[in-house]
Amino acid sequence: MQVGISAIEYVLGSDTVSVDELEARGALDSPAARLSEFGFSCARLSRDSSHTLATAATNKLLCATGVDRASIGALFYAGATPGCHAVETLDPLSAFNYPVAQLQYELELTHAAAFGVSQLGCLGLMASVTLAKDFLLSSKSAGRALCVSADVLPAGCKREMIYNVISDGACAVLLEKECDHNRILAYRQVTKGYYWNSIAQKNEITAAYFPTARNIVRDTLADADLDSSDISCILPHNVSLRSWEILLGLIQIDRKKLFAENIAKMAHVIAADNWINLRDAAETGRLHRGDKLLLFTFGFGANWACMVLEH
Amino acid sequence: MAHTVLVTGATGMIGQALVPLLAHRNDVGAIFALTHTSEYMGPSSKVTPVRGDVTASPDLGIAPEFSREILDRTNVIVHAAANTRFSASLDEARTVNLEGTKNLLAFASHCPRLEALAALSTVYVAGKRTGTICEEDLDHTSGFVNSYEQSKYEAELLLRETMSALPISVLRLSTVLGSTTGEVRRMAAIHHALRLYYNSLAPMIPGKADGLVDLIAVDYAAAAVEHFAVEDFLAGRTFHICGGESALTLARLLELTREAFLRYRSSWRKRAIEMPAIVDLPTFELFARSAEEVGDNILRSSVSIIKHFVPQLVYSKIFSDVECTRSLQAKGLLKPSVLEFYPRVVRWLVESGWGEHGTLAGGAGA
Repeated sequence: MQVGISAIEYVLGSDTVSVDELEARGALDSPAARLSEFGFSCARLSRDSSHTLATAATNKLLCATGVDRASIGALFYAGATPGCHAVETLDPLSAFNYPVAQLQYELELTHAAAFGVSQLGCLGLMASVTLAKDFLLSSKSAGRALCVSADVLPAGCKREMIYNVISDGACAVLLEKECDHNRILAYRQVTKGYYWNSIAQKNEITAAYFPTARNIVRDTLADADLDSSDISCILPHNVSLRSWEILLGLIQIDRKKLFAENIAKMAHVIAADNWINLRDAAETGRLHRGDKLLLFTFGFGANWACMVLEH
Repeated sequence: MAHTVLVTGATGMIGQALVPLLAHRNDVGAIFALTHTSEYMGPSSKVTPVRGDVTASPDLGIAPEFSREILDRTNVIVHAAANTRFSASLDEARTVNLEGTKNLLAFASHCPRLEALAALSTVYVAGKRTGTICEEDLDHTSGFVNSYEQSKYEAELLLRETMSALPISVLRLSTVLGSTTGEVRRMAAIHHALRLYYNSLAPMIPGKADGLVDLIAVDYAAAAVEHFAVEDFLAGRTFHICGGESALTLARLLELTREAFLRYRSSWRKRAIEMPAIVDLPTFELFARSAEEVGDNILRSSVSIIKHFVPQLVYSKIFSDVECTRSLQAKGLLKPSVLEFYPRVVRWLVESGWGEHGTLAGGAGA
């Protein structure tokens, strides 16, 4: 049996703010000119909560596909930031007010088992997709699973993390059994707990990023019985173009295969990038049936993940 | 008649190991050890520390009251003083390595008893050449990776020009790692690079997996220098004191390093630090440029430590040491196995915390 990704929808923060304006607001650590050089032109900032964005993205997907809501067997809710995993008040019981349950209720996903996926940084959605696939393969009754990520940084906070411009947004991904679209051929995740302290080990993480990324890409391709020349398109996480250019040198894949258009347009939408890029690359006609797609992401924590899809 | 030896760079990596060897020889009566520092005592009563500086002038900055005696008595000179700092500007490197050699040659020309001048150099005067590098090779137009290589190349051109006037032999060393027991008396760029790997600050190395990394033990290097300076001096000749065919590939060296880290610091295992990726030069340069543009001080200085010498690994070459090995084997001096001494050096570095109380890299030696 195979599981594929049949639909993706997303929403971004409504306010488009240029890197120059972010600099003027004191929201950057690096000069705007440097971040422009690295491929960023703006960030998308949301006035709404992560829950609102998650609801909007999921509704958009459900409306666009017209799938029966009762047919969704599982809902995986990912988010990199702690704020999207709790609806807390001063009452200690509020720590158990989980947004994933709220989302399941509000969207009438009455048959969906709900799972919160956290502490994976920017690879929360990719991990959710692979968990959802495993869920579907192990479930006799469930035929569909929804994965949703949503992240909104607190108002007024910095919009740069290690030379990357960060946007708010949400993305919903629908997986279905017997779907021959975007079949998951291989997935690997590496967690290196040594780098758990993102502030104290910023330099070590930067240095570890590249060889670990190179290795996980190599190993995931091997799992899929592919080599780098078989890859038609790389769907990146939207970190700086500079770091992608370095990584492409390590993994020996041509720059032309990188779908980089969204880096300038929407910057790094935390956990959603790869899936937004998959949707947009397909929408623009860049992908063809049977294309082998490589998705790579890194999440503070520290986690590296790579997935190979057949479009 | 016993030899009187003048050693420049007596406190440098080779000088430190060489002076005691010379002092133990029955046929060496006196050693003048030229050094910058006033603290240097010398390992034996045969050794007279002499304050001076090869860059100062043709009298090497030696006080006049000592200069005459040294000139009159010296019959062997070992010129080991060098600026081995790969990040030095070309002007800085030339000041010691070229102008210092020029001064030394001028000084030597006034030594009436001079029989041997052994000038230490580097196999990396070959610069960006690739393939087999023979001991007599010098001229090339391939360019250089750093100012050290270029300035030593220029010094060798000068030495060759002067060979008709003075008894000169050139001894080219490859990368001196540490002693066969593992001890490192003086930290150099390669030791700092190993520390970066140990501390997860070395993401990538430019080079080829099957490219050779030529390393030698300091005691072997010093014994070879002693041999060619005093015992089997051959004027007009150049010798490669190096690993030659026994040099390890870059991939094997990284494996050995990792194995040694795991063996000698078991807690290192749980860090799960990746081996540096071997990459092409443009990829490394892009990373280095990025780290310099945006990295904080730690990352910037990490890159700065390696960027001036590791690009040499891109230019795969093997140093022929046929003549050197033949002469040393005849004396019974065998090349130590790098497979044996390399892990010992890594162990020493790990267990001593990279010699926290030792001296630090490079610098200009007298």
